[in-house]
Amino acid sequence: MHDARDAEDALLLEHGDHGALIAAYHDVVVQRCLVATRGDSGYDVAQNVFVRLLQELERGKTYAAPYRVVVHKVVDWTLKEHFAGGSTELPLAEGWDAADPADPYAEIDAGDLDTLWAGLPDGDRDVLDLRYVRGLEIEQIAGRLGKKRNAVDQALHRAHTRLRAVIAGG
Amino acid sequence: MAQLFDEWAAALARGEQPDPLDFIRRAGAGADELARLMDRFLRARPRAEPDPELVDLARGWIAGTAPLAQLRARQRLRQDDVVDLVLDEFDLAPAKRATVKRHYQRLESGQLDPARLSRPLVGFLARALKTSVPTIVSWRPRPLEAAPAYRAVPTAAAAEPLLHAASVTREPVDDDDEVRALFIATL
Repeated sequence: MHDARDAEDALLLEHGDHGALIAAYHDVVVQRCLVATRGDSGYDVAQNVFVRLLQELERGKTYAAPYRVVVHKVVDWTLKEHFAGGSTELPLAEGWDAADPADPYAEIDAGDLDTLWAGLPDGDRDVLDLRYVRGLEIEQIAGRLGKKRNAVDQALHRAHTRLRAVIAGG
Repeated sequence: MAQLFDEWAAALARGEQPDPLDFIRRAGAGADELARLMDRFLRARPRAEPDPELVDLARGWIAGTAPLAQLRARQRLRQDDVVDLVLDEFDLAPAKRATVKRHYQRLESGQLDPARLSRPLVGFLARALKTSVPTIVSWRPRPLEAAPAYRAVPTAAAAEPLLHAASVTREPVDDDDEVRALFIATL
């Protein structure tokens, strides 16, 4: 599911279009920082994530992993420093991404929506795609898929149950 | 809790910028679980295609132009124009113009935290600058030490003095209670 976006990111990196990259990840970085901090300090942390991402881009740093993985790792790293009481305004330390030398990106790289919804019937996945990727209303989804509203609600309920199980499993 | 997650995730998919703090607050005892669900989903979700105006904003931010100044320049407004609009909207006495202007300049330059703006003011600025509240609140000037030595300024309106675009400070700037309540809302 991420492949197309990863390819776009690779092109943006190749062309040095840092503005497009920062814009592409702006909302997800802000959302993650707000969710983690549970307060307005999340905006400050997010700002420092962007500054750090840009510092690395301007230094010409390259990555073996897709750029989205790098973004999420920088968010993780910056939040970790924030909660440890450290300054998140400083540039990232050399080797910042080496928390797991075996494969620092494995967890994030494997965690796309297909993985999240694994085990759900195809019909449910169609509902989830329309709801959480395309943003359709419940009635629109029912109409589009020829289902009753109740069937759409049940598919969403199964997805939430699945998601909660994933969270509970760590 | 499932309904809150559903509303939030669907709003994200529609390209809105839902305030996750609002959803987490509404979750009550389920706040921790909702926050974990949200974070897991944010990691898994493919990024959206950015709005071209957002790309322009990011490019300006990289060049060292204050985001709020860019948004203002896009509407061909000067700082004085915005100040006049604020005075008019909130029925402030003309004698308070200089105070409003100082606050606004500090907001634009990153010396005031946009997350502390009162709801009426941030909502008004969003309407006046034809943007969204989350855009105003979430974009801050790039710190000067990280910005290029020679920054490109796309328009004259955006070239107005950028004071100290370092990290946001929360120092009180003036002592007019009415103006202060607009720009620095009580937490």
